[in-house]
Amino acid sequence: MEFKLTKEQELIQKTARDFADRSIEPAIDHIMKEHAIPQEILDGMKELDLFCLPISEAYGGAGAGYQSYVLALEQIASVSPGVAIVISVNCFGLAALEMFGSEEVKKRYMPGACTGKNIMSIAMTEPEGADPRLVKTTAVREGDEYVLNGTKRFITACGYEGPLVIFARESDTGQICGFVVEKFCEGYSISEPWDKMGLPGTPMYDVYLKDVRIPVGNMLGELNQGFRILKNSIALGKIGISSIFLGTILAAYEECMKYAGERIYLGKPLTQFQYVQGDIVDIAMKYEAARWLAYRLGYLADMNEDKGNIIKDSALTKMFVTNTAVEVARSAINIHGSYGLMENYKVSRIWRDSIFGPQTEGTNALLRSVVAMDILKRSK
Amino acid sequence: MNIVVAVKQIPDLQQIRIRDRRPVLDYVPCVLGDIDKSALEAAVELKESVQGRVIVVSAGNGEIEDTVKEALAAGGDEAVLVEDDTLADADSSVVAKVLAAAIRKIDDVGVILFGEGSADNYSGRVVSAVAADLGYPQVGYAKQIEVDGPLARVTRSLEDSDEIIEVPLPAVISVVSEIKEPRIPSVTSILKARKKPKAIYRLDDLGIEIPSGKNITTISNLAPVSERKGIVVKSVDELVKILKSERRLER
Ligand SMILES: Cc1cc2nc3c(=O)[nH]c(=O)nc-3n(C[C@H](O)[C@H](O)[C@H](O)COP(=O)(O)OP(=O)(O)OC[C@H]3O[C@@H](n4cnc5c(N)ncnc54)[C@H](O)[C@@H]3O)c2cc1C
Repeated sequence: MEFKLTKEQELIQKTARDFADRSIEPAIDHIMKEHAIPQEILDGMKELDLFCLPISEAYGGAGAGYQSYVLALEQIASVSPGVAIVISVNCFGLAALEMFGSEEVKKRYMPGACTGKNIMSIAMTEPEGADPRLVKTTAVREGDEYVLNGTKRFITACGYEGPLVIFARESDTGQICGFVVEKFCEGYSISEPWDKMGLPGTPMYDVYLKDVRIPVGNMLGELNQGFRILKNSIALGKIGISSIFLGTILAAYEECMKYAGERIYLGKPLTQFQYVQGDIVDIAMKYEAARWLAYRLGYLADMNEDKGNIIKDSALTKMFVTNTAVEVARSAINIHGSYGLMENYKVSRIWRDSIFGPQTEGTNALLRSVVAMDILKRSK
Repeated sequence: MNIVVAVKQIPDLQQIRIRDRRPVLDYVPCVLGDIDKSALEAAVELKESVQGRVIVVSAGNGEIEDTVKEALAAGGDEAVLVEDDTLADADSSVVAKVLAAAIRKIDDVGVILFGEGSADNYSGRVVSAVAADLGYPQVGYAKQIEVDGPLARVTRSLEDSDEIIEVPLPAVISVVSEIKEPRIPSVTSILKARKKPKAIYRLDDLGIEIPSGKNITTISNLAPVSERKGIVVKSVDELVKILKSERRLER
């Protein structure tokens, strides 16, 4: 067991932080007002290979592995979780293609998304909910093509050009399968962006598919494999979400250290008050616990060829980190007193961002039942 | 013509804590100083005009091989290293001798770049000693360098003026940090750094005499005591007045 970053990991972590400080931080106001990431930031992330960190070099990825991915996303998210999401959703999609796409699909779609020229999306959730049993979108086989119809809800980054992995019910088997669709192809349209309370930068929309035709080869994996594809992809997606909310914990921690050192109350800095000390120590403790759990999830993803092996750990990590992020954000506001509720204090933003963690990519309530099934089955 | 950049491994200054006015260096990772990275960035830019390679030179303890990856990720083409645990706290005169010997191992050296001073000790003694040892001219405080055939034209940043001078090559040039903002290395360049060529020498391989005993004794190296004065001001004007009266606005 070794709890130490390699030099390469240290440098990748630093690259992400330096980029976030140098290029994203000065653009935060713009991102908040326009709800969009400026093109220069997307270009900068392309140049630094941040869009494809964990994806293998064979298909145009950086090949840096999931441990480095966690480290980099954490740093970017500590400055802007909204920007980090565009990376994580792209890697989520790329990982699904890498695991289950045919050679032809990988060659056609992965290199463009690895450079960040195209940005991937994943569409599971529908107006009725995110549970696979609720999927109503259909993929009807007609000769060499599938014809897709349906509505997907809350889909991140689907306003950018690029491939979209869409989960739909396959007509011959009635099972859920993943299909690759090019965004903005004939029959594809999107709603106005949802007006969400936090995570500015990467808007989400509803996606409408009306008689969208794709080649049969754009189905991921084999028939009847759909649920496995879904579960394994979602397990990798949780690495992204865990890293992003680890980043908000780090941000809250840094803000509190700074504020408590600078704010003078009754003639002395806040750091000299025992209650504040206790709150900050609790944040430090929670940050350490969350980060080593998230780094370990990256390690497990690197070590396990079959990503099905990390489903339980990814759910546990996602729940712990996102719940912790909300607790820490709450406590950070406390330390800031009323200032913490003001728009121009970063902790108010951290609060509105953190609250997203437990609700997304499977609510934590849902994940508890996933893990319960897994561990109780084993104990029988 | 090749460009040599000397870089020094220093403890990550952002992670040093001060206890009893002394730095605590336990568990602090080694990094390259910012000014060395500016020198490296200047070297990478010069490389285009001289069609040579950027060769990073460094002397230090066993961690140097790992630390130098940062320079190889940020544009260095190869590294020449002298690795010895005694070098971690060697005198600047010893370091200069070692660096000069390492530079002699490199072919076709045109420009040798240094940061103006290292970010940890900032003694600023190594550059002149290396130049003297090699018998090359030395230029300090460079903020711009152009190579023109056998000459380098160097703009020096002086207190209230710039000075432009020409110097025959090979020459030793130390730079100020404004010369270039260091690049942020990409993920793939970080991963490729490991595979770039590295020549690693031990002290014995260099064929130089290292004087025994120390030429320099550090008598004291303490963090300044910072005390708040606790002066409360009611307006910016008042603040300016106080700062002026303490002669803090005149620099
Ligand atoms: C910012 C953001 C980005 C998103 N991006 C995407 C995207 O790119 N792609 C995508 O497909 N989706 C996306 N979503 C949707 C999101 O993943 C789902 O809305 C989320 O997983 C919640 O699922 P739901 O809508 O089914 O649950 P809801 O209907 O919102 O949940 C209702 C309640 O039921 C509970 N519940 C549901 N199922 C169970 C269960 N089995 N056991 C116990 N309790 C349960 C929930 O915990 C919750 O309390 C995004 C959402 C947000 C907010």
